[in-house]
Amino acid sequence: MSAKSRVLQGIFVDLRPLAEGDAAITCKWRAAERARHLNQGAQTPEDQARWIASRPQSEHNFIIQLRSGQPVGMLSLVDVDNRNSRAETGRFLIGEEDVVKGQPVAVEAMALLYDFAFNDLGLLRLYGTIAASNTLMIKWQKFLGMKQEGVLRNHYRIGGEFQDAVAMGILEDEYRTVFLARAKVLMAAGKVPVPTT
Amino acid sequence: MDLRHDVLQIIFEALKSLNEELPEDQQVALSEDTLLFGGESTIDSLSLVSVIVDVETAISTQFDRPVALTDDRAMSREPSPFTSVRTLTDFVVELLTEKA
Repeated sequence: MSAKSRVLQGIFVDLRPLAEGDAAITCKWRAAERARHLNQGAQTPEDQARWIASRPQSEHNFIIQLRSGQPVGMLSLVDVDNRNSRAETGRFLIGEEDVVKGQPVAVEAMALLYDFAFNDLGLLRLYGTIAASNTLMIKWQKFLGMKQEGVLRNHYRIGGEFQDAVAMGILEDEYRTVFLARAKVLMAAGKVPVPTT
Repeated sequence: MDLRHDVLQIIFEALKSLNEELPEDQQVALSEDTLLFGGESTIDSLSLVSVIVDVETAISTQFDRPVALTDDRAMSREPSPFTSVRTLTDFVVELLTEKA
């Protein structure tokens, strides 16, 4: 079954494919203060719906939703390159932060995406860029196994100002040795099990 | 030397550093009773990791010994060491006392 049509099930959250019907809520999230570190997205739900409809086959865009079905964020795996066994993670945003405080929603969502990328797709490397001002996300990703691989100068224009991007990556063995071990602790703190392989 | 007091100050410093990254309406109170993660807590996992990393770094510097807050014991402990400032303080003191 294609990932385009299936849900990645977790204990606390699921990742389900992003659909045009998610245009309004994802547009709202992108406009919120929390999304200030991301590139500027669509300005209207109509533009967002067109953007969602135009996503290429090389992308897997997900809505993070609680097991109750409530959408709380988004996360993507893009530029899937099977020849080089790599893909980029991105568009990671918890939009309903007040709903998920104290719960390992972000870490379980990332665990589901990594499990899909490394175990289902058989990829060997994931990478991404983070705005240099997003210090909490950089620290979080490093803690969970990503390594800083470089700095892209003036890579983003955010709020009218240029800023650097931190380039980060994680290899398949780092996922198994670092990510899974540390994600387990965070999930245990939130009482959520984590995959063991 | 009051070990518990020193550890508590290190955790408060980590929370102060975290507060510099958070909006005004999400500031974390510097109190032993502050709930950190799980249940009715006040922070998300990004903020929790920031506290863990800063506390580990400060402990290593101040006590000249590495401490891993995310080992197997942290995972199996009830309540989780990351439940509150108090449980985290107790956990760090326990780790430092054992290794002394």
